Amino acid sequence: MASLHGVLADTREIELSAKVIIHMEGNKTSITNIRIPEGISGDSSRERVKTFTYDFSYDSSDSRSSTFASQEKVFKDLGSDVLKAAFEGYNACIFAYGQTGSGKSYAMMGNPGDAGLIPRICEGLFSRISDMSRCDEASFRTEVSYLEIYNERVRDLVRRKSNKTFNLRVREHPKDGPYVEDLSKHLVQNYSDVEELMEAGNLNRTTASTGMNDVSSRSHAIFTINFTQASPLPTPAKFDAEMPRETVSKIHLVDLAGSERADSTGATGVRLKEGGNINKSLVTLGNVISALADLSQDVGGSQVKKKQVFVPYRDSVLTWLLKDSLGGNSKTIMIATISPADVNYGETLSTLRYANRAKNIINKPTINEDGNVKLIRELRAEIARLKALLAQGNQIALLDSPTALSMEEKLHQNEARVIELTKEWTNKWNETQDILKFTKRPQGVAMAPPELPSSLQGCGRMSTEQQTE
Amino acid sequence: MASTYSAEWRSVCEKFRRAQHLTDVESKKDPENDPFRSKYKAREVLKEIYNILKRYDSEDNESEQTGGDHDRDDDHDGEPGCGSAHPGDSAAGLRAARLGAIEYFLGVNHVETEELSAGEEHLMNCMKLLDKCLVSRENVSVFIQARNQLGILWAGRDEIEKAQGFLETAESIYLRYMKEDGQPPTDLAEFFVGEEEELSQQERTRRFEMAYTHTLYYLAQVYKNQEHYEKAGRYCHITLQRQLAFDQFVPLDWAINAATLSQYYITKSCYMEARHCLAAASVIAGLAGEVPSEAAAQESEAENEKREQLRQKRAEIARCWIKYCLNLLQDAKKLLEDNIGELDIERQEELKRARRREEEEKEQGRKSAVLFGSSETSDSICALEEKVSCALPLDFQEARAIFLVGQSHVAEAKEYFQMDGHVTDHIEILQDHSALFSALSFFEEDLERRCKMHKRRVDMLEPICKDLNAQYYLLICRQLQFELAETYYEMMDLKLALANKQDELDAHSIKKFNHLCNASIKYYQKFLDSIRSPEGKFPEKLEEDVLRPALVAKFRIARLHSRIISSDVSAQLQNLSRSLDCYNFVVHYCEENPEARKAVETELELSEEMVSLLPLKIERLRAKKASSN
Repeated sequence: MASLHGVLADTREIELSAKVIIHMEGNKTSITNIRIPEGISGDSSRERVKTFTYDFSYDSSDSRSSTFASQEKVFKDLGSDVLKAAFEGYNACIFAYGQTGSGKSYAMMGNPGDAGLIPRICEGLFSRISDMSRCDEASFRTEVSYLEIYNERVRDLVRRKSNKTFNLRVREHPKDGPYVEDLSKHLVQNYSDVEELMEAGNLNRTTASTGMNDVSSRSHAIFTINFTQASPLPTPAKFDAEMPRETVSKIHLVDLAGSERADSTGATGVRLKEGGNINKSLVTLGNVISALADLSQDVGGSQVKKKQVFVPYRDSVLTWLLKDSLGGNSKTIMIATISPADVNYGETLSTLRYANRAKNIINKPTINEDGNVKLIRELRAEIARLKALLAQGNQIALLDSPTALSMEEKLHQNEARVIELTKEWTNKWNETQDILKFTKRPQGVAMAPPELPSSLQGCGRMSTEQQTE
Repeated sequence: MASTYSAEWRSVCEKFRRAQHLTDVESKKDPENDPFRSKYKAREVLKEIYNILKRYDSEDNESEQTGGDHDRDDDHDGEPGCGSAHPGDSAAGLRAARLGAIEYFLGVNHVETEELSAGEEHLMNCMKLLDKCLVSRENVSVFIQARNQLGILWAGRDEIEKAQGFLETAESIYLRYMKEDGQPPTDLAEFFVGEEEELSQQERTRRFEMAYTHTLYYLAQVYKNQEHYEKAGRYCHITLQRQLAFDQFVPLDWAINAATLSQYYITKSCYMEARHCLAAASVIAGLAGEVPSEAAAQESEAENEKREQLRQKRAEIARCWIKYCLNLLQDAKKLLEDNIGELDIERQEELKRARRREEEEKEQGRKSAVLFGSSETSDSICALEEKVSCALPLDFQEARAIFLVGQSHVAEAKEYFQMDGHVTDHIEILQDHSALFSALSFFEEDLERRCKMHKRRVDMLEPICKDLNAQYYLLICRQLQFELAETYYEMMDLKLALANKQDELDAHSIKKFNHLCNASIKYYQKFLDSIRSPEGKFPEKLEEDVLRPALVAKFRIARLHSRIISSDVSAQLQNLSRSLDCYNFVVHYCEENPEARKAVETELELSEEMVSLLPLKIERLRAKKASSN
């Protein structure tokens, strides 16, 4: 499934003296570097105006403006797809990313009377649940959990009895996917339950900041809604008939650490800084070496088959936990929030750049396919034979000619013998059936074929398989 | 100049100690909202020292100029010490070094507090002061460290070449000093301590060598950023080697870095270097101590953490070994296979002859390589290297030896990366194990045994493919489905070749053959089904990452259907029409999406041919059927 990227500008916190350097039009967002004087065209890296294209660009800075994007609009564009995916049994994920104060929480939570994405998604979820339960279409169970990743450690934000809340381990289960060991899950019935838990969690998030006044911008928070629907009717054609009728989907709502905290060492799990920076400390030698092992193969172009190597560079906890949401099997929405004020030029530009590249941050495993060389050669031979046949016009004589016969053709010729054997057996089977017809009355009883002579089993099996196909 | 023992000098030393304490210790406790508080304080102290030194200078030597009016381009750093200059150990030389050191500390202070231009100025002042001196034991550290800092500074401004200039000069200063003098030089901090606090020779060496290790490490990054990967790799290698030689490493971290470097070498097909890195990684990881028992881990969180770390890192090193073995086998296969993927006997002979010739040269190559290890470790590293070859295997015996080493590392890695908890990692290891079998099978001449190797692959992958939830592991599921389809296909081909050899067909072989065909079709189909929408619809436009695999799957299914052996003409007809449908799919898809053509050029060409020719074959069969009725 595709992912969407929206950019949302929020000017709420702009001082009067600040200049607005962001301009949005359609799905494009432009940023102006007011330090470069107008009218000068230099090298491209110092352009005055840089423009980025996203799936959506929203201007939510001034409600009186004609281009103003309301929360309702954002939800319609982004949130409703998330809901749809959840009911279809897919995972969904919403990231909010941007500088502290650029309107992340406005986009995600909203203000009183002006609800953001999370409350709207939850309301949509519960209202649809109650509709469907009323019609007895399905039964539902919704559980939520709330965690924080700080310095690569996972912490439960809503555990009631706090015997183990710190440093939880992330693991994977073959059936249930990635999970956090010992993370508490809480059953919820409606949005107010969700809200309550979220508030309790947020409280934990801030009180934990011993002395640090800005912990929230240094940690990622993931609020997860686990959503199970048990349907009395078969769910609409899932690919596999073996699929159980109970479907589980997860919705991750991710509040990423403030972008200004994301540094080149990857402490926040997202490598952002560009350019030729040098890491000072030898502690980072591993990063350099692993980048080298990754990069050194990119030079020759994609035609050459890459060597498969193992780079023991642990994914950050964040990407690890969300890999099922990032790896292609889910609906992922990324919202970058930016401040239109000129003082934030640097941060805003880096956010825009990041959002632009976000699609590529996840390493997709690819299918490694063996070459088709042998198959191609065989097929060419067959094509040549068929063509010769066409040219000659005398179809039967040529197909049976012994020239250039592959073993396969021989096998097909050998059909003669197979047919003989099969006939023999079919006759026997018919005889048996005839006998049975006379002796046994009840109809519709399934009958097993009689034991076959071992040399014939192949043929027998083969034909039954084909009948059932 | 004031005597080293004077009260005033003692106060300078005291100031310096304070500045260092503020920078190194106090600054770590600074609050978030005032993160540079201590560094600003340190800066003030350093400035005081600077002013005192300046005053000494003018008092001591009126005749000498302090401004430094060398006609030197600031941007360009050449090697110092040429022309007329003070000897480093002269009074003027010492003064310059001392003042230069303070400029250096001021420069670093400004850089660390994000005032880059001011930092640059101080560092350049330091350079100017020293440019008037010859490189000597007293000032060589300042020479090198100032350039290290300037290298970082310019790299941060994206001026990589400028950074490279400073760092490469630092490198050549070191090399020349070591050649011409080589005695442990004065450390920067030693300018401002009493004689009683002078460093030991050992400590001097350690600090000096560490500064140079950093030079090399920064150069590695510069070369990496310039995409000179080979050079970067070499500098990383030397950095690691020096960490070990000067005993400045954490065993587990070092081992993981060395193991990672081996992967770089593998991508370059430098197997001797890769093996050396891996052997060193294994030996050094061993220095990290015993894995705490499970019981101990349950007792304390610290032991638990240690146990996790040790087990994980060692398992990761094992995984690097697996890749070593696998790539060695696969590279050899690539070298030895003919145009249809079979062993090319002539090529094999030729390579064996060539290898005998090269054997002696190899020995020499080894001696010139940068080797890891100290007196205690190099023997164990060597012993470990001897356990596996670094030459491409040329026959089954050699291939098998490498395979077995790889397999033992598979077992080791799986011990930590178990399915329960480490699904993705565990499966990746199994996929490697399967790939090891696949590569080994190439060297196996006996078709029956070769087929059994593929059967082993099926046996390890099939149950997992069944158990895995595609909702969370979709891409892995697809990989497994595709690999299983290909493995069954391979087995089908082998069965056919076997039958071909025996020149005889029995019902059992037909059954087996058809079973393998159907199994292969089943997995290709599963793969294709995984692309469908929730409503079961096949997408009109395939995503890029599945485009080729999906079309290849269709193409292969087409082929497979036409290969199923059946005695029944209507079944044959059915198979052929299915085959035709699949060829048609490929052709149609590429008509609708012309941009897909280049991904499947040959397959498309053949499919088009088959689409035009297969109906003929079907017609013939129909006619035959009609006539026999």
